[in-house]
Amino acid sequence: MTSSDIASPSTFQQSRLGLEGSAAGTRKSAAKKRLRNNAGLGPLLLVVPFALLFVLFVVLPIVLSLVQSFKSPLSGRFVGLTNYKYAIGLGDFWRGVERVIYFGVIQVVIMIVLALILALVLDSPRCRGRRAFTTIFFLPFAVPSVIAAIMWGFLLSPQLDHLLHVSAINPLNPRVVIYSIVVITIWEFVGYNMTLYLASLTSVSAELSDAAHIDGATEWDIAFRIKLPLIRRMIALTVILSILGSLQLFNEPSILSNLTPIGSSYTPNLLIYNTAFNFNNVPVAAAESTILAILIISGALMFRVIVRQRRGGAGPQTAALSTGGL
Amino acid sequence: MIERRDRRPSWWLIGILLIVVLFVLLPIYWLVVATTKNDTTLFGNNPFVPNTVGNVGSNFSALFTTQGGIFGRWLVNSVIYAGVTALLTTYLSAITGVAISKFRFHGRRLLIAVIIGSFMVPNTVLIVPLFILEHGLHLTNTYEGVILPLIVFPFGVYFMSVYSADAVPDTLLEAARVDGARIVRVVHQITLPLVVPGMVTLFLIAFIGVWNNYFLPLVLIGSSRLYPLTVGLEIWLSTINSPGVGRTLYLQVITGSFVSILPMLILFPVLQKYIARGLTLGAVVGE
Repeated sequence: MTSSDIASPSTFQQSRLGLEGSAAGTRKSAAKKRLRNNAGLGPLLLVVPFALLFVLFVVLPIVLSLVQSFKSPLSGRFVGLTNYKYAIGLGDFWRGVERVIYFGVIQVVIMIVLALILALVLDSPRCRGRRAFTTIFFLPFAVPSVIAAIMWGFLLSPQLDHLLHVSAINPLNPRVVIYSIVVITIWEFVGYNMTLYLASLTSVSAELSDAAHIDGATEWDIAFRIKLPLIRRMIALTVILSILGSLQLFNEPSILSNLTPIGSSYTPNLLIYNTAFNFNNVPVAAAESTILAILIISGALMFRVIVRQRRGGAGPQTAALSTGGL
Repeated sequence: MIERRDRRPSWWLIGILLIVVLFVLLPIYWLVVATTKNDTTLFGNNPFVPNTVGNVGSNFSALFTTQGGIFGRWLVNSVIYAGVTALLTTYLSAITGVAISKFRFHGRRLLIAVIIGSFMVPNTVLIVPLFILEHGLHLTNTYEGVILPLIVFPFGVYFMSVYSADAVPDTLLEAARVDGARIVRVVHQITLPLVVPGMVTLFLIAFIGVWNNYFLPLVLIGSSRLYPLTVGLEIWLSTINSPGVGRTLYLQVITGSFVSILPMLILFPVLQKYIARGLTLGAVVGE
């Protein structure tokens, strides 16, 4: 979960973007019709720069990487699926995948529950100091994950912490460091998720909660029977985004590997990085990137299908967004 | 008579929040305290009790003089990467977003599909591909090499299209009677001023995102003179285990980390509102 992945869930508003006819869209004004007709060259000029850069820095790299992944690391000749076979047979790769899935399950559950509790508490009429609390909880969003990992790494290092040293507890021990990473990433992202929940809660719940209270609902009922179901789409969205982030875990273990011997293949992304730049095997790294991308995308799609089936309706348009694009 | 909802403060709830406040502030407090230590007290004393303020000065001067003052260079680099990228991506996202929400043109549906689709692509797996491309174009180890790919920010385009759908009245563009290439001028003169608040929000989100980025410059930049703060500090951290040099760099890493987050810690209470609004805009309306 890199902090470069400020993933922002969004419901792509097709109706507002005019992709499909909506209730509002049925009464198209004459003005809008003319806008629609005068299209032509002008608007195209506005989108061409983005489209070109997108092709150059997103599409082209993917194509080149696919080409590389079929080439021999030594001779540069095409060798078919050799690199893929090698990567798929790599135990380290799959141990990394298992590790980030294990990490993801623990991290996402704890973080989402904590974020929900915070949002519900802050949304309660019996809470005080909302603005101050919200600002503090959201603060780690502005801290680079590298710095977060450095701070927590030093804080949890028995070398620097006299108390840990004396008690012989080492949270950075390679066998338990995964839980330290859980703590670090929760610290980084719990406020971000809380902010998303709080925004959707305050936009819907005030009148509804008052009405429910008049009907005899307790605050407990209001929180769990009214508010939570209201934001379930947002919860589904944040869960997908958090899972995507977990599977891409890189920054935190990369920093902590300076403080604890966790090896060069602790997570799939760490393995890919080291394969490409420490072992200079770009073709195999490219093949590993492709496999990881396929795993992550199919994981996200699977989750969407599950969410859709359970609801029996249209699922949320997921938008795993990242600040800076990468 | 119906009893009103209880609005008295609940110390239970506030207690829960205070515990989480401690959790959030703990590492930041630790970092601030650590900048008051020296090479001996960093390892010996209680990590939560400040040493002497006098050490802060010497830690700062050590930070900016170590290895010929390269930390200052990293600081400037981070400002360049984040500032230039955020400016360009905000502008590019604004004109693209406005075009999508306000005009019809060939390929519009495709563009929307591509933007939605790219949300699904895990961005870290694009990094090795990007290295392959930039290696071929001799873009690695340059400012442009980091900035250009980061300008392509599908969320920004999406955000600006949703924002301008509301902020720009259709009648305004109609009144301007635009067609052909003049649209470009009209959009710059009439439309962009209307979406400036959205652009400010997007600028902040992009700036923080690039300022915090680590993986991309780590892969694309090899020369230490071009590192951003995040990569530079990691490189210093990695020398900690090498005998001889190592131990002395602890305080530089600590003080450098403090300097890296200080501007945001100060500005965040003011900016927080705009950032949160931007991140939640699309999500909330769809609920």
